[in-house]
Amino acid sequence: MIDQYKQTFQDEARELVAELESALLELDERGDDPEVIGRAFRALHTIKGSGAMFGFDDIAGFTHGLETAFDRLRNGKLAATRDLINLSLAAGDQIKSMLDEAAGRGVADQRRSADILAELQQLTVTGSEPDGATPVLPESATNRPLRDWRIRFRPKAGVLVNGTNPLLLLRQLRDLGSLHIDLDTSAVPPLGEIEAERSYLAWNLVLRTAAAPEAIRDVFIFVEGDCELTIERQPELAADVGISEPPPKRILSNGSVAGSEASTSVRVSAGKLDQLVNLVGELVTVQARLSEFANGRGETEILEISEVVDRLTSALRENSMSIRMLPLKTTFERFRRLVRDLSLELHKDVELTIEGADTELDKTVIDQLNDPLVHLVRNSMDHGIETPEVRRAAGKRPSGTIHLSASHSGANVVIRVSDDGRGLDAEAVRARAVERGLIDASARISKSEILGLILAPGFSTAREITELSGRGVGLDVVRRSVEGLRGTIEIESEAGAGLAVTLRLPLTLAIIDGLLVRVGQAHFVLPLANSLECVELTQQDIRETHGRHIANVRGELIPYIRLSEYFQIERPQPDCEQIMIVDTEDGHYGFVVDQVLGDHKTVIKNLGRLYRNVQVISGATVLGSGALALILDPHRLVQKVVQSTSGKRQAARWSGAVAKQDSR
Amino acid sequence: MPKVILTVDDSASIRQMVRYTLSEGGYSVIEAVDGKDALSKLTMPVNLIITDLNMPNLDGIGLIKTLRAKSSCKGVPILLLTTESQESRRLEGKAAGATGWIVKPFVPQQLLAVVKKVLG
Repeated sequence: MIDQYKQTFQDEARELVAELESALLELDERGDDPEVIGRAFRALHTIKGSGAMFGFDDIAGFTHGLETAFDRLRNGKLAATRDLINLSLAAGDQIKSMLDEAAGRGVADQRRSADILAELQQLTVTGSEPDGATPVLPESATNRPLRDWRIRFRPKAGVLVNGTNPLLLLRQLRDLGSLHIDLDTSAVPPLGEIEAERSYLAWNLVLRTAAAPEAIRDVFIFVEGDCELTIERQPELAADVGISEPPPKRILSNGSVAGSEASTSVRVSAGKLDQLVNLVGELVTVQARLSEFANGRGETEILEISEVVDRLTSALRENSMSIRMLPLKTTFERFRRLVRDLSLELHKDVELTIEGADTELDKTVIDQLNDPLVHLVRNSMDHGIETPEVRRAAGKRPSGTIHLSASHSGANVVIRVSDDGRGLDAEAVRARAVERGLIDASARISKSEILGLILAPGFSTAREITELSGRGVGLDVVRRSVEGLRGTIEIESEAGAGLAVTLRLPLTLAIIDGLLVRVGQAHFVLPLANSLECVELTQQDIRETHGRHIANVRGELIPYIRLSEYFQIERPQPDCEQIMIVDTEDGHYGFVVDQVLGDHKTVIKNLGRLYRNVQVISGATVLGSGALALILDPHRLVQKVVQSTSGKRQAARWSGAVAKQDSR
Repeated sequence: MPKVILTVDDSASIRQMVRYTLSEGGYSVIEAVDGKDALSKLTMPVNLIITDLNMPNLDGIGLIKTLRAKSSCKGVPILLLTTESQESRRLEGKAAGATGWIVKPFVPQQLLAVVKKVLG
């Protein structure tokens, strides 16, 4: 490969020397023409630059002297005298003979090079310009003690336009050690005055690192002059203030600062926290009753009290929920070991990168997230990332990367597992799905729908079964767990370029955003996340479908389930019913109810042990009136109904179901 | 999706070297022979531009100024390829809106490190 470069360089350099000569001759005839000088300069510049890069150091060194002269010429600090032109022509010849020597033809006279350079020196007034600093790669911290550095960084407003991403700078700092970040938003103007392209933020950072101060400075090398930057050593004793990590043992054993850290956090058992959340849940329910009662009475005094209690209750609820929030860090970090061990076992070279490990999520969600994540990472290791040989042959870096990231998005947390492995071939997936009878051979479905098929039960594209995954337990397990957490899952892939699985999960399981519906006197809650729309079911619709429990919604045939029939609720038949259309694993289904009452944010209560086997109901909630509403699990409900009606295949619906994973 | 990098240099050997190094690093690379050519190739979005300073038709500084004036290219990182003797030109490039620079000669690892620095 390198030889090929050298050949390219030689050909190019010869052309450039010819270009130089013609420019010099023109210069001789016409005198100082900036355009021509520019041409000569560029030729020299390129010879020098490429020469040094491909190992022609002698040529680069020699050309450098000449280039310096032409740079001065270009800036008008030197005149294009005949002497200079003659000397430059001689220098061009010298470059040619050096090229010949490199190509194995003849030997260049080194003394002559030195002579020409010496003469050039005489012609041009010496005075070297300052050298530009090369960005230095952060050197590995070797044996230097850990130190704390206080860094204040305020980029100028225009850095974003210039392509600087402050986030990347912070990440580079974090690579050096443990970083405590404080964002200073004091300079952010009122919303109306904010210009999206400008940066208004500043950061106060404490970095604990063994790296040299130069390495810290190097992180900011490209923004020097474009920012206010102070980097100073933090005195040892004050180091622990503002850093969430415990101080190193060394300091503790000295006994000088022990104690100052003691009151910042308290360990509480998870059981006590659950109890707290339960009690708050009760309180929220009672509060709902209180405010309903107060509203009904219309007495200002009690209304006022109720409003205050309302405010306090919501604050208390938010607060107790936040206590259960934990960073994903420990869950994510565990994967380092997994990836390392699997790399050895599979003879693959895999690097794990982690982003957003401090994203917080309800402890109960985190606990249930571990298994699906292990599954996804294993899947990437096993089927995604290729062996170094295969990767090299495909023109990729021999080492693969698995990237774990987490971020907040509204009331959800988005977790992404991506790899740069072989990806999924949509056609192969499709073929397999047809083979397995999951879709019809003639089905016309989009790429994302096809990729979604790998989440179907019993689907696997791996040709052979290995030690780790691919033993028939497929990604449907992941899908089920994620949906158990009321989350959604999305797959993107480019054949040959990698695969990314995005999980979208609610922040907490203790609260549900639901739609409250009524059937007769009974109330039910359907999860809002899966609800698509709500349409009327008229007597005419029922007549037209001859009672087949199918509704025609804008051309789409949607099967429906009557909650009144399923739960055997006896009530006079209402004139008009409503269908809640819900996105389930088996496609769109409708749930027929008497009335949709509206959205309902509520605390989920467990039904207790006696009802543990009732799968279609995921919990219950107490309404403001004191009445109970059951929270339905639409997926399970549909499965139950489908199982009980007949054994007919629902697989054909897969194509429709998976496509809607990301839609709300 | 691999990130796309546009390399702008009038030297074929430098372009070749940049292309090889970056493709090895998992990026996808498009080439332009000078600033003018680069502008004509920027119909598709790129994640990073690496440009030489001295080029015919439109040089590096001119290219950066033109790009920074286009709304679609604000915020796209631009790296300058400079030589050690060009401190003043480098500052000029920074002032025009360059994100960073790479000093020639460089070895592949240095190029990749700097690219990673601005692309993340």
